[in-house]
Amino acid sequence: MTTEAIPSAAAVPPVGAAAALAVHGLTVRFGDLAAVEDVGIAFAPGRIHAVVGQNGAGKTTFARAVMGLVRPAAGSVELAGRTLPPGDVVAARAAGIDMVHQSFALPPTFTVAEALELFVPAPGPVYRRSTMEARWERVLRDAGIEASPRARIRDLPIETLQALEIVRALAGRPSLLILDEPTAVLPPPAIERLFARLAAIRATGVTILIVLHKVREVLELADTVSVLRHGRLVLPPTPASELTPARLGHLIVGSDATAAAAAVAEADAIEEAVAGAPHHAADAVPVLRVSGASTAAAAAEAPLRDVSLEIRPGEIVGIAAVEGNGQRALVRAVVGLDTLSAGRLEIDGADVTRAETLERRRRGLRAIPFDRNSEGVSATSSLWENVTIGELLRPAPGRRFVTPGRLRARATEALDAWNVRYGSVDQRAGELSGGNIQRLIFSRELGADARLVVAAQPTRGLDLAATAFVRETLRDLRDRDAGILLVSSDLDELFECSDRIVVLLGGAVAAEFRSPFSLAAVGAAMVGATEPGR
Amino acid sequence: MSARMARLGPVGRSVALVVASILLVSAVLTLSGFSVLTVANGMWQGAVSAPGAWQMSFRWGAPLFLVAIGVAIALRAGFFNIGGLGQFYVGATAALFVGLGLPGLPAIVVLPLACLAAMAAGALFAFIPGWLRVRYGTDEVITTLMSNFIGTLWLQYVTAVLLKDPSGTGQQTATRPVEEAYRIANVQGVSPVTVGILVAAAILVWLLLERTPFGITSAIAGRNPVMARWQGLRLERVGLLAFLLSGALAGLAGAIEVFGPQGRLVSGFSPQLGFTAVLVAIVGGLNVGGIVLAAAFFGGLQAALLYLPIVTPLPPSALDLLRGTIALLITVTSLSALGRALGRRRARSD
Repeated sequence: MTTEAIPSAAAVPPVGAAAALAVHGLTVRFGDLAAVEDVGIAFAPGRIHAVVGQNGAGKTTFARAVMGLVRPAAGSVELAGRTLPPGDVVAARAAGIDMVHQSFALPPTFTVAEALELFVPAPGPVYRRSTMEARWERVLRDAGIEASPRARIRDLPIETLQALEIVRALAGRPSLLILDEPTAVLPPPAIERLFARLAAIRATGVTILIVLHKVREVLELADTVSVLRHGRLVLPPTPASELTPARLGHLIVGSDATAAAAAVAEADAIEEAVAGAPHHAADAVPVLRVSGASTAAAAAEAPLRDVSLEIRPGEIVGIAAVEGNGQRALVRAVVGLDTLSAGRLEIDGADVTRAETLERRRRGLRAIPFDRNSEGVSATSSLWENVTIGELLRPAPGRRFVTPGRLRARATEALDAWNVRYGSVDQRAGELSGGNIQRLIFSRELGADARLVVAAQPTRGLDLAATAFVRETLRDLRDRDAGILLVSSDLDELFECSDRIVVLLGGAVAAEFRSPFSLAAVGAAMVGATEPGR
Repeated sequence: MSARMARLGPVGRSVALVVASILLVSAVLTLSGFSVLTVANGMWQGAVSAPGAWQMSFRWGAPLFLVAIGVAIALRAGFFNIGGLGQFYVGATAALFVGLGLPGLPAIVVLPLACLAAMAAGALFAFIPGWLRVRYGTDEVITTLMSNFIGTLWLQYVTAVLLKDPSGTGQQTATRPVEEAYRIANVQGVSPVTVGILVAAAILVWLLLERTPFGITSAIAGRNPVMARWQGLRLERVGLLAFLLSGALAGLAGAIEVFGPQGRLVSGFSPQLGFTAVLVAIVGGLNVGGIVLAAAFFGGLQAALLYLPIVTPLPPSALDLLRGTIALLITVTSLSALGRALGRRRARSD
C-alpha cells in the first residue's frame, strides 16, 4: 500500500486474493429507507467473523445481500476474488455461499432424510429410501446430531432443526457459511453446543459470517467483530481480543447514553435480582386467576394439569419451564385460543372460562405471542393494518365505518411513539427487521388500556437497547397496576423482572418462588430435582 | 414486459398478463391458419362497435361482476368459493319460483321479493360448504366445486319437471317464462333497473370491503388467520359471513338473469360463469374497481365470441383457450416464479 489507510466506515479495506469475501460500496434500499448504506468490508478466510448491531442496524439485510436474497441498489460482492451477479441467490450458492436463516424452512411433514434430500439430492436417476436414509444417517452421526433420519421435522426440537439447517447448508460444500442470529432461538446450553459446532466447521477451513447482537456471545465466539449502526459500518473487522464489552456496547448503540449504559450492564452480565418490596396490594382482586386448569393433550407439548395461579394488580409473575413443559398451553389457554377441559379462568374477578379471545381482550387482555412472524403480525399485510387490527376488532359503539386515512395516522403515531424504523405505513410488515416487528407488536399491545399482559418471550432476538426498553415498559405497566404473565426461557430476565416465579414441569405447577430468587433452586425445580414447595 | 412484475403493481400486473395471454393466443391462432387481424376486428365489432354489441358485453359482464365480487369477498377472507355457478343456479330458481308463484301481484312487490329469495337461496347454498369449512375444516375448494354439480342437477330438475314449459320442444329443457310485466330488461340485458342494481351492489360491496372493520380485518385474516385469532377475530363468524355474502351475490346474479335477458330458465345456461367469475375476481385484483374492468373485459369477450361466426369460422373453444392462458399465467406469476425469472434475465443482460 502506498497510501496510509484511514479507518473509516466507507473506506474499502485493502483487498487481496487473501479475502474470502469482499464487499464494495454495498447499499440496499427499501423504498426511501436505506437499510445498508455504502458498506465496504473484507473478511479473511477460515475465521469466524461476527457482524453486530442493534435491531434495524442492517445486519440481516447485509447478510441477505451477500447471499443474493436482496438486490443491492449499489455495490458489489466478491467471493475469493470473483464478483457475484447482484441479487442472484442461485449464483451465490453455486459460487460457494450458503446461509442458515433465523426461521427455518424445512418442510414440517417431511422426515429428516427427505428434507435434506430435497435440498441436496443424490446423483443418479433411481432412488431407494433405505440408501437415502443410510446416507443421511452417516452425515448426521458425523455431525454429532442425535436425530433419526426417519423422524418427522415437526417433531424435532428447535436446536436439532437448526443443526439440520447447518448440515443442509454444509452439504453443498460452501466456502462461506452465513448464520443469521442463530442464538436467538436457542436455550443457553444449546448455544454452547452451537459454538462448539461452529468452531469445528471453522477447523475444516470454511469461513463463517455470523450475525449476532449479544455482546457476550460475540466476544466468546468470534475471531473478528464488525459493527453496523443505522446501516453504516462503524467498526471494520477487528480482532475480538482487542475489544472489551464496554467498548463494543458503545460502538453498537452509539451516542445514546442510557441505552449504552444498559448495553454495558448487560455485557457485564450483572445477575442481580431486583430485591424490593412487592409492588402489588396483596388483598386486591387478582387480575388473573387460574384455578385447577387442565387442557386436552396437544401434539408437541405437555398439556396443563390442574394448574392454579394468581396475578394481582401491579404484579409480574414469571413462568419458568424447560421448553415443552406447558408454557405454551398456559399462554394459549389464557389468551383463549384453546379451551380448558377442566378448571376456571377469571380476569378481574369475572369468569372468562368459556369467553372468546375477543371478550377477554375487551376486558384488557393483551398478548405478545411466542412467534412474532406468524402469531404476532400478518407479514403480507400493511403496517397500518397490523397496528390497528386491535381497535378494528373492538370498535367504539356506533362506529360502523372506518376511514383508512385516520387509521394510517393512528398507526403512524403508534409506530413513531415506539421508535419503529419503517419507510411507510403502507409497507408490508414482513419487510421490517425482527426487532422492529416486535416493537410494532408492543405498540399495538402495550397501550394504556392493557390490564393483563401475557408476554411470551418478549425479548427473544432483540438487541441490548431494545431488551432494556421492553423490560422497562413491562415494569411501567406493572407500576400502573396491570398484571403481567411473563414467559421467558431467559432466567436472567425472569429474575430481573418478576415479583414471583412459577415453575411448570410436565404441565403442572412444580414450585413457586418469591424474589429474591435463587438460580439453583429455580433451576432444580425446572428439571424436577426438588419437591414441590413454596 | 420490460419492467419487473413486482414494480408493476397489481393493476399493471393484470394488464400485462392479459396482454401476454392475447399475444400467446394470437400466435396459436396464426399457426392454426386464422388471420389475427380479422379475428381482432371481429372481436372489437362483437364487443363494442357493432349495433347492440356493447349491450351484449354488458349483458354477459353483469352476472360475471356480481358473482366475481362475491368470490372476492370470500377470497380476501382466505376462502376459495368456486361454487359460484351452483349458487347462481339456485338463486335463479328461487327467483323464478317467486316470479311464477305470485301471479297478479304488482312488479314492485314481486321483484324485490324475488331478489331477496334469490339472495337467501344463494347464501344458504354457500352456507353449507362454509359451515363445513369453519366447523370441521373440510376443504372448501372440494365442497364448493361439488356443490356446482348439485346446483346444475337442481336446475335440470326445475326446468325438466317442476316448472317445465309444456310447449317446449327444443333440445334443452326450459321453464315457463315469467310475465312480461316482471321483466327488468329485454334480451339485450341493459336497463335502468339492472344498471341501478349493479351500481348499488358495487358501492355497497366497496364500502363493506374498504370502509368497515369487517372488510379490513377479514383481509388480514385471509393472509394470516393465526395472527387474527390471537387478536380475537372470530374466524368462524367472519368465514361464514364471507360465504353467505358470496352466495347471496351469486344468487342475485341469478335473479337478474331470470327477470332480465332470459325471462325464464334454460337447463345448463351460462355453464362457464362460475369459473370465469373466479378469474375475473383475481384479474381484478380482488377489489371492486378492478373487478368492474375485468368483468367488462370478459363480458366483452363472451359477446365477441357469439358474434365472431359472422366474420370468421373461429370455434368457440378459442375463448376457452384465452381464458385458460390467462388463468395459467396468473397462477404462475402469483407463485412469482415467472416474475423472478424475468427479473434475473434482465439482471444478466444489464
